[in-house]
Amino acid sequence: MEALFFNADDGYLEAVVRGYRSSILNNTAYINLTQCETLEDVKLQLSASDYGPHLQNEAHLSTSMLAQKCTDKLVQEFQYIRAHAVAPLSHFLDFMTYAYMIDNVILLITGTLHERDTHELLNRCHPLGVFDSMPALCVATNVAELYNSVLVETPLAPYFKDCLSAEDLDEMNIEIIRNTLYKAYLEDFYHFSQSFGGPTAEIMTELLQFEADRRSLNITINSFGTELTKDDRAKLFPSIGRLYPDGNLKLAKSDDIDQVKATCDVFLEYRQFFDGTTGTGATKTLEDRFFEYEVDLNKKSFQQQFHYALFYSFLKLKEQEVRNIVWISECISQGQKERINNYIPIF
Amino acid sequence: MCPIPLPLLQIAVFSPVYSPFFGVMGATSAIVFCCFGAAYGTAKSGVGLTSMGVLRPDLIMKGVVPIIMAGIIGIYGLVVSVLIGNGFSQTMSLYAGFIQLGAGLSVGLAGMAAGFAVGIVGDAGVRASAQQPRLFTGMILVLIFAEVLALYGLIVALILNTKASDSKC
Repeated sequence: MEALFFNADDGYLEAVVRGYRSSILNNTAYINLTQCETLEDVKLQLSASDYGPHLQNEAHLSTSMLAQKCTDKLVQEFQYIRAHAVAPLSHFLDFMTYAYMIDNVILLITGTLHERDTHELLNRCHPLGVFDSMPALCVATNVAELYNSVLVETPLAPYFKDCLSAEDLDEMNIEIIRNTLYKAYLEDFYHFSQSFGGPTAEIMTELLQFEADRRSLNITINSFGTELTKDDRAKLFPSIGRLYPDGNLKLAKSDDIDQVKATCDVFLEYRQFFDGTTGTGATKTLEDRFFEYEVDLNKKSFQQQFHYALFYSFLKLKEQEVRNIVWISECISQGQKERINNYIPIF
Repeated sequence: MCPIPLPLLQIAVFSPVYSPFFGVMGATSAIVFCCFGAAYGTAKSGVGLTSMGVLRPDLIMKGVVPIIMAGIIGIYGLVVSVLIGNGFSQTMSLYAGFIQLGAGLSVGLAGMAAGFAVGIVGDAGVRASAQQPRLFTGMILVLIFAEVLALYGLIVALILNTKASDSKC
């Protein structure tokens, strides 16, 4: 049924995103990049791709400049799509930016807590996550003021309101705040995409469930050996993943990686994450396997038409591409080419 | 013996008082539905044109083509309404009334469909041809295919309308 009405408002933008998708670097391009000797060669190879016009005026090459330019191109493309979008796609695209807003707000909170000048932090904020009243947040001098202005100015208010209070901002570890906010955001995004029905709901369910399970696994594994209590750990797990509720309970009680592996053995797709990564001499880390699985899911979303999940997938695949280019450039510029092939191929 | 003369009986049976209702509804539906289609087409393509024209004002005149095509659909409806209107009379046969209703609906609904298509294609085509100029001829081709649907409705309406004057009572 969505085939009847989708193109009326969103047909042009779906076509544009599919055009952007075909400009994502493929395996041949990556092989050429890995054989470069210097960053000049990397720039030469990239000038043949869609990144050419963005890189040609750069005199001084460095990995951070490369990352900056590639991210700028991604932001430009996203903002073009956002400018042409009408409701409900515009709401969906806004939802996608809330994740970056959470990161930016955490950055500003950290700055305020350490009494740094938050105006210089504004330049380090992710461009996709800026909102109009961001400078207003910088005016706050202590955390209570910041909390009040965040509630008023940002679209993140519901995530703060339900989970945190002003005292929590001062006392809690900043990473716990970040994870609590992100959990609320993920659950909200999940219910929002369910409201669309059809292929949007189907594909976003898969993508967001994996994101939730990935965060649960990462929180569990990273909290081994820290002072994070098991109850606190359990409060950070999102409730929308496939591991909810039994897997989350088991993860909350686990003490080492073998118990985590046993929890994931229930699901066929998650079993592969742990083959060969436990122990030393692993060729792929767990993070790499998560990225690979995520790229796989995002590629599959392009095989269906007339849904919004491909805007989300496009953003994620482009980010992965930027990470790949930065990894390869870092390996080249530091002269350590043994692990240069650890990028995640996309197409 | 029948008290009413046979010719009058025929008129009473074949030309009841309410037959002009169907004819008038046909004329109304021709213009009303065609204008729905033309309005949607103009509105949707107009929005696309204004979005595109902010950064590419040189392409505005080329981008007016979908709006012109949407307007033509309204003209089809006007033509059919006028032609149907020329066939009204106070005592017209029910047969003629039905034919006029059919003619009006055929051009009206075909025009509404064509107007929707012209609007959606015009919106996307105008935005896309600002990014890729070679898309312009493709957009025109698709618009022509969309417009011709209303033309088919017009042809059917005209053919039907010529039959309306064939009624024997």
